[in-house]
Amino acid sequence: MRAARRRRRFGNSSNVPDQCSVLLRNLATRQLPSGGWSYFESPQASLEATCLAALVLASATEGGTGSVMRLLLKWQFPDGSWPAFQGDSEGSWTTGLALSTLIAMNGPADSGARSLSWLLEERGKEGHWLWRWKFKTTDHSVRFDPDRFGWPWTSGSASWVIPTVFSVIALKQFTACNRRERAEKRIRLGVGMLLDRVCLGGGWNAGNSVVYGVPLPAHVEATAIALLALQDEKRTPAIQASLGWLKQRSSSIESVESLAWCILSLFVYQEPVEHLKARLATLIGDGHDIRNNATLATAILALKCGEMIHPFEVLR
Amino acid sequence: MNVDRRRFLGSAAGMAATAGVAADWLWPRHSVSYRRPRSFVAILNAAEYSEKIETLLMDGLRLFRLNLLGKAILLKPNMVEDLPGPVNTNANIIGAAARCFLRLGAARIAIGEGPGHQRDTELVVQAADLKPHLADRHIEFVDLNRDELVRVKLRANYSGLGELWLPRSVLDSDFVVSMPKVKTHHWAGVTLSLKNMFGIVPGMKYGWPKNLLHWHGIHESILDICATVPIHFVIADGITAMEGNGPLQGTARELRKIVLADDPVAADATCARLMGFDPLRVQHLSEGGRFLGNLRADRITMLAERAEVPICPFAVLPDFHYLLARADM
Repeated sequence: MRAARRRRRFGNSSNVPDQCSVLLRNLATRQLPSGGWSYFESPQASLEATCLAALVLASATEGGTGSVMRLLLKWQFPDGSWPAFQGDSEGSWTTGLALSTLIAMNGPADSGARSLSWLLEERGKEGHWLWRWKFKTTDHSVRFDPDRFGWPWTSGSASWVIPTVFSVIALKQFTACNRRERAEKRIRLGVGMLLDRVCLGGGWNAGNSVVYGVPLPAHVEATAIALLALQDEKRTPAIQASLGWLKQRSSSIESVESLAWCILSLFVYQEPVEHLKARLATLIGDGHDIRNNATLATAILALKCGEMIHPFEVLR
Repeated sequence: MNVDRRRFLGSAAGMAATAGVAADWLWPRHSVSYRRPRSFVAILNAAEYSEKIETLLMDGLRLFRLNLLGKAILLKPNMVEDLPGPVNTNANIIGAAARCFLRLGAARIAIGEGPGHQRDTELVVQAADLKPHLADRHIEFVDLNRDELVRVKLRANYSGLGELWLPRSVLDSDFVVSMPKVKTHHWAGVTLSLKNMFGIVPGMKYGWPKNLLHWHGIHESILDICATVPIHFVIADGITAMEGNGPLQGTARELRKIVLADDPVAADATCARLMGFDPLRVQHLSEGGRFLGNLRADRITMLAERAEVPICPFAVLPDFHYLLARADM
């Protein structure tokens, strides 16, 4: 009953500024003493949740993000990468997201440069010639082109869609004004990998489009995030089909996380999102029932879409 | 000294076997053993996912005389994707199991899953229709992909991983119940209670899918995970199972069984027999039978129905025809 009342109060799009203030306060109260955010109630900060919350703060406050930036810089490894969570000792898929966050917060250039060089070195395991050879000659159970590799979730595994997307966005954003050949080549390779993994009817899932000859379905969240990395690319039939698929699916999605990413993605393609924002506003209410802080932060970013600099926008 | 070829080959084979035994003795691949003299399995007949399932489960669970008083129980269902068809453990069975364990004295129930493909866990929970079963304040859902993590040294060394970060909610549980959907699997042959434990490996660290485990060997990783996080009980959803190109794209198979067991190897061996497979031919089962539980039928006491071999075995992809049991078994 109480949850329904909370949702009703914020079901009107004219209340969105009020709602965002409430949601922001809600997010702020969940900040850990360390300065980061965990996904749920644990004391262990997650890089993804912290970066998304930091992007919200960067869009909402003038100069109030210093402590979060210091934290991100503290968590960065000397090789330029970031761990997936506080306490982990390995560079991970969050490095691209952390670099985009640093860019949004006007972070120091040397930290960004170290991150850039890590991203340029990192690759999915199939990027090694021996594995490429194996996938080309003997192992055909999954349909993909091993010459087009992206980034892994964790070193020692293959390329997957989400880590590749965040890495491509970060590379495009960081090198927007001064892109060298090496970065351009790596971006092209990453974009090529994403286009190679697109599902048959458009859209993306984790990264396997056809297994044992059977097409696998796309996921809403993965598709929305993948399209963000391709926003400045030529509108190929694959991108058009994926955009169409996402628009169609976004009309019925009831999950806060997927809907929020739909809004962030469709917005950069200049698609109408106001009706989706109204639905999202109704779904989340005052945010009390959204226990996942990464989801809450993404939802706030989506609700504020159009009123702030889009954190994943790539300059054309 | 004259050594003929046959004697030489015989000696070489003998030496290799001795070296293998010595290597196992010198560098054992597992530091634990959960095998007991006997294991207990109950096959329950259930034609559909109706409200009667709770009564059926309760009757089945009582056969095992479990001591659950005050315990924190983790139910680990198999919830992979928001897809139609028999992809996920049915929510009615999960909810019924949670309520049964509370009635048997458990202090609290966590239903924990880290979906392996779909990053949006809320979407999977919505699609599985699990939310109505979370109304009881003693039953909560834990997203194992995003839980607090603890670095754990693995208690077996088949994969070479050495250690894994695992969710605190799993490690702090008193009693772990694996609740697989009975399915074929296009990489592992079958996905049952042991393979189901891939879902405790956190996506926030290892990704969606948990691809590092594949690179280190699926069977090997299953053995290492299950040695490290012992499964105390199994409730396998085989009412509508999946055959063919599982775990996502297979076809429904009406098996009409729920399998309960106090031993995951015995449970999976029984499910494999019900599918028409020879459990010895499932790599992680045959090896798991050495230390994770009992594989041999003569060490398994059936508390309810017998494990009847189906007239028509489950369909498998061509790569897995070797799993099919011989007709005389």
